[in-house]
Amino acid sequence: MLSAQKPMRYGHTEGHTDVCFDDSGSCIVTCGSDGDVRIWENLDDDDPKSINVGEKAYSCALKNGRLITAVSNNTVQIHTFPEGAPDGILTRFTMNANHVVFNSDGTRIAAGSSDFMVKVVEVADSSKQKTFRGHDAPVLSLSFDPMDIYLASASCDGSVRVWKVEDQTCVTNWLLLQKCNDVINAKSICRLAWQPGSGKLLAIPVDKVVKLYRRETWDNQIDLSDTSITQPLNVVVWSPCGQYLASGSVNGSIVVWKVETQECIERMKHEKSYSICGLAWHPKYEQIAYTDTEGNLGLWEDIGGGKKPNDKVASTVTKNYEDLFDGDDDDYLNGDMIEPQSSPNAGANEDHGDDGDLMPTSGHPRRAIIDDDDNSLDIGMIKANSNLLEKEEDDDDDQIGGFPALPTSSTQQPFYDGPRPTPRQKPFQSGSTPVHLMHRFMVWNSVGIIRCYNDEQDNAIDIEFHDTSIHHATHLPNSLNHTMADLSTEAILLACESTEELASKLHCIYFSSWDANKEWTVDMPKDEDIEAICLGQGWAACATSALLVRLFTVGGVQKEIFCLPGPVVSMAGHGEQLMIIYHRGTGFDGDQCLGVQLMELGKKKKQILHGDPLSLTKKSYLVWAGFSAEGTPCYVDSEGIVRMLNRGLGNTWIPVCNTREHCKGKSDHYWVVGIHENPQQLRCIPCKGARFPPTLPRPAVAILSFTLPYCQVTTEKGQMEEQYWRSVVFHNYVDYLSKNGYELDENAKSQPVKEQQELLMKLFALSCKLEREFRCVELADLMTQNVVNLAIKYASRSRRLNLAERLSEMAVEKASELATALGDEEEEEDFRTHLNAGYSTSATEWGRLPGRSAQQDQEMEEAEESDGCEEAEGMPEVPKQRPNPFSKAVSSAEVITPKSAVIASSSQGRVNPFKVSSSKKDPLVPSANVLDTMSKYSRKISSSRAVNKQSSPVIKPLIPKPKSKQASAASFFQVRTPSSSEKRVGEREEKAGNEPPAVQVTAQDNTENKRPKTGFQMWLEENRANILTDNPGLNEAEVIKEGMSRFRILSTEERMVWTEKAKGGAVNDLTEDKKRKRPTAAEDEAKKNEEQKSEDSNVSKKKKPLDQSTNVRLSSFAFKQS
Amino acid sequence: MEPAEAEFLAEKELVTIVPSFSMDRVHLIGGDLGPFNPGLPVEVPVWLAISLKQRQKCRLIPPEWMDVEKLEEIRDQERKEDTFTPMPSPYYMELTKLLLNYASDNIPKADEIRTLVKDTWDTRMAKLRLSADSFVRQQEAHAKLDNLTLMEINTIGTFLTQALDHMYKLRTNLQPSGSAESQDF
Repeated sequence: MLSAQKPMRYGHTEGHTDVCFDDSGSCIVTCGSDGDVRIWENLDDDDPKSINVGEKAYSCALKNGRLITAVSNNTVQIHTFPEGAPDGILTRFTMNANHVVFNSDGTRIAAGSSDFMVKVVEVADSSKQKTFRGHDAPVLSLSFDPMDIYLASASCDGSVRVWKVEDQTCVTNWLLLQKCNDVINAKSICRLAWQPGSGKLLAIPVDKVVKLYRRETWDNQIDLSDTSITQPLNVVVWSPCGQYLASGSVNGSIVVWKVETQECIERMKHEKSYSICGLAWHPKYEQIAYTDTEGNLGLWEDIGGGKKPNDKVASTVTKNYEDLFDGDDDDYLNGDMIEPQSSPNAGANEDHGDDGDLMPTSGHPRRAIIDDDDNSLDIGMIKANSNLLEKEEDDDDDQIGGFPALPTSSTQQPFYDGPRPTPRQKPFQSGSTPVHLMHRFMVWNSVGIIRCYNDEQDNAIDIEFHDTSIHHATHLPNSLNHTMADLSTEAILLACESTEELASKLHCIYFSSWDANKEWTVDMPKDEDIEAICLGQGWAACATSALLVRLFTVGGVQKEIFCLPGPVVSMAGHGEQLMIIYHRGTGFDGDQCLGVQLMELGKKKKQILHGDPLSLTKKSYLVWAGFSAEGTPCYVDSEGIVRMLNRGLGNTWIPVCNTREHCKGKSDHYWVVGIHENPQQLRCIPCKGARFPPTLPRPAVAILSFTLPYCQVTTEKGQMEEQYWRSVVFHNYVDYLSKNGYELDENAKSQPVKEQQELLMKLFALSCKLEREFRCVELADLMTQNVVNLAIKYASRSRRLNLAERLSEMAVEKASELATALGDEEEEEDFRTHLNAGYSTSATEWGRLPGRSAQQDQEMEEAEESDGCEEAEGMPEVPKQRPNPFSKAVSSAEVITPKSAVIASSSQGRVNPFKVSSSKKDPLVPSANVLDTMSKYSRKISSSRAVNKQSSPVIKPLIPKPKSKQASAASFFQVRTPSSSEKRVGEREEKAGNEPPAVQVTAQDNTENKRPKTGFQMWLEENRANILTDNPGLNEAEVIKEGMSRFRILSTEERMVWTEKAKGGAVNDLTEDKKRKRPTAAEDEAKKNEEQKSEDSNVSKKKKPLDQSTNVRLSSFAFKQS
Repeated sequence: MEPAEAEFLAEKELVTIVPSFSMDRVHLIGGDLGPFNPGLPVEVPVWLAISLKQRQKCRLIPPEWMDVEKLEEIRDQERKEDTFTPMPSPYYMELTKLLLNYASDNIPKADEIRTLVKDTWDTRMAKLRLSADSFVRQQEAHAKLDNLTLMEINTIGTFLTQALDHMYKLRTNLQPSGSAESQDF
């Protein structure tokens, strides 16, 4: 698109409107049925100046600083422009005037009224009036001949008349329009227009065509039409150069013709198809302002933009070409689009030379920026500039697209085509609204609100605290004209710029002081103006125009001073941290070039960010800078992107929210007032059609959520990745705060870890499902150790042997890392303390493990439930991995402890017996220790599972194909028993350490049948025959019972031997073949499966008869042990 | 049912307040409220809002419908239609009364809102009386009235049912009058 149609905006209440530009084109003036005339500096002007001229305004005209309006009290009034002071009444009618126009030099106006009369009045002397009678119906529209000889008028009687102004005679009369009885019934308001300059042509919109009549001969010269016009035309307006003609229709289409060639060069459709009733061509630029009957104002920019001929010959050729295919226009049936036709107007350019020709589009905005430079005081201006720049960029793009090598047109003055410097944005206080407003927010932050009233009656500051328990609301007179303010929970800081007599002052109200003097004031040195201020905990800071930052204590003691590398933009304080954003240099093409310093003003003063460049969205500027409630620096740019310091990645900035995504309309914005990391909240005020809120009605705070701009957040994976990293980023503050000596409760620390690990586990499961094993390993790398163990379990259950193996390797690595991190001191400590230390470091993780893992297990189960049989088959994999770490552990005796601890955690106590043997010197205590934690862990899991899923098999790998009810009951039994017995084991061990370890092992083992083979089982297998021969009538349960009692009779050593046998060959001193069985099995799948099968059958055989009562008996039996 | 009871029920409605104090989540039988963060809008039942407002612990944000333009629309609609139009809240009258009595300083154009709601109410009451009248006149056995609020039913319920009872008595006495009289005398 070469031309830019900006979104329309609300201008007036519904009803007829009129629009014009002022002489210089610097502002748009509209009037509407609300009786107001509004002066817009540009389309984005959120605070247009309003002049009330009456109850309803029908038409307005502006020339030479006089604003003429036709209002509903049947008068035509003058107001001064731009002040808007009433300057008398020009003329009256018996009905309201419908249209007023100036003549070309602004000395006379013409007004046409509903009382059928047309009057021409001298502006300077309203007594000199000429009345034109002749119309038989209300007059619709008028147009002054630029030569001041004729006046054209259109009326509801269907006639268009041309009058000679001198003698008020009707020169000609065409019956062109449809007759009607009143203006409101008229099909078209028929705003006709003379061609500017010589007035050679008179353009009249007649139904769907614009008829052009030649002066003097008054014959119909040309009809301009276009297929996109489907409804009658309302308005006609000439470009100031007189070459182009624009017309707006009652269904909202606007068409621009090049009169000479009669070709339509631009088309546009009103976004809502409202009737266009006002059109005005910018006196200099190729912009058209338009208004509709619903009171909206729109601006159509760059009409004919980018149509620079790059080659005269080429353009003529194209022109001819176009002439040949004139019918092309018919193809443009789609009126919804702006269809720029690439019709080069080279000829026109050559012909008309410099006389107000359409200028190259790219030149003007730039010029405008430079013009604006001196008065670009507020954000509005900057915004305007950046808008212009935006437009400029569009142009450039277009031109580059359309004409790769763009030569300067001969009619143009040469201009610098490189990047243009952006005016530097002015310093501001975060959370404040522009200074020029009468009622403004000086600051709105998480502590409170400071409002400033500056009108005729009052010049005051209102301070209000969100939490009234901090301080009561305060009202201060603003005699010093403070413009900056900051508010913290202990003080109010105000500052004003210097005036001619008074120096710039910093004024602090330290309300939490315990003495009687709660205020202090400091004068800045001469010629030094405060530009930004902020408050921290116990200190205040101000940045001045002398590029100095001055620090004060909150009680008023002057402290450090340091220099800034550039003019300050904004400052923010939080606790000990001070963030200063300043201009590092000059930005180009709409960009700002900002730098940021972050320092800590606590005991050890240090600089964290040394003036690093601040990343802003292209062509945006800073609108908010501050800290989150937790103390992480954040800032917001004018494009609504919220960025936050990522302390976890070398103090880089990460975009955490795009507030514009939440906006409904294009001109809506969110005005940020605070950021909270926990809970994740972006507190801001929604502003409809503005960048900042008004003070009244009191705006309400809304909460936005954060979203990191990760890819593919529509997919599950992307979503979880985003959530994970968001959680990581938003909990960086925990580390930071704890590093800086703040106390945080354990919950605050463990909560995020838990959340993150949960997400990782979900991601892991997802990747597993998608067969992305490599990705799984990558994910596991991010996990904490315990979660890796869960991942291993998950992987083994879903029959991913390779993955599980790799993961277990990783787990070992992680464990050794953990061990090295633990340091050497442990070597001196005894084994028990060592272990304790090892666990206590990760106490939080252990502590919170049960709940989470239960949850995760559940999830995994859900995931797994789909393939029930597979799981049962997948079970051998768990034991299979075990040998690997073990063999390693054996080889390096030093690392045994942590490793085995890991493994213990991974296999949930299964390895304990091994531990016992590996630490022979003190076999009981450490194992008890490990067991303690582990058993608690597994118990909780199993019990929670038991609660959650009473009948379903829970620890899947241990369940021998739960097909029958019996089997599932057995599995249930298996799950339950260890929990109770293990608990007992733990308790018992705590009570008495002298209990023979084998007993413990037995109790554990015989109940934990999930283990492929326990010592007792092995023993039982061997001795089953004996038992059976002794007591032939026994059933399975009784056999086991009997076996148990027999096993218990065995000596401790014997039992140990069995247990170790069961544990396999990992144990150093056991070398029998039987013990080798396990590791071999691990290596040999087939063999293992066989073994597994036999085991399965064994287990199920053994377990089948066991019912709930045996279970109870069994546990009571175990209890007796202690 | 008393109007006071209807009002009591209305106090369960949720409104948004901006608290000026900080408090953790409050666990009540009716559900959890809060947490209250100063300056951050939170939804609470009307009874709590009023209580906090009276203690100047919060600022009230009027419900969305409590807005002059919207109420004007509702009133016009109500006047235009012969039947009852749906109200913005089943407790619009009670809420208006309560909120305007206790928090009129937080509601822009409180007086206009009061008038508008009263207008709407009057229109509806007139309709209700009219329909009751035609109901009685036409001796209908049943009628269906949609979109009536509790308070509105309350105003006419007792009266109408009693009146119908009386009429029924009168009618039943009237019909067998000949025989009854002869028996009595």
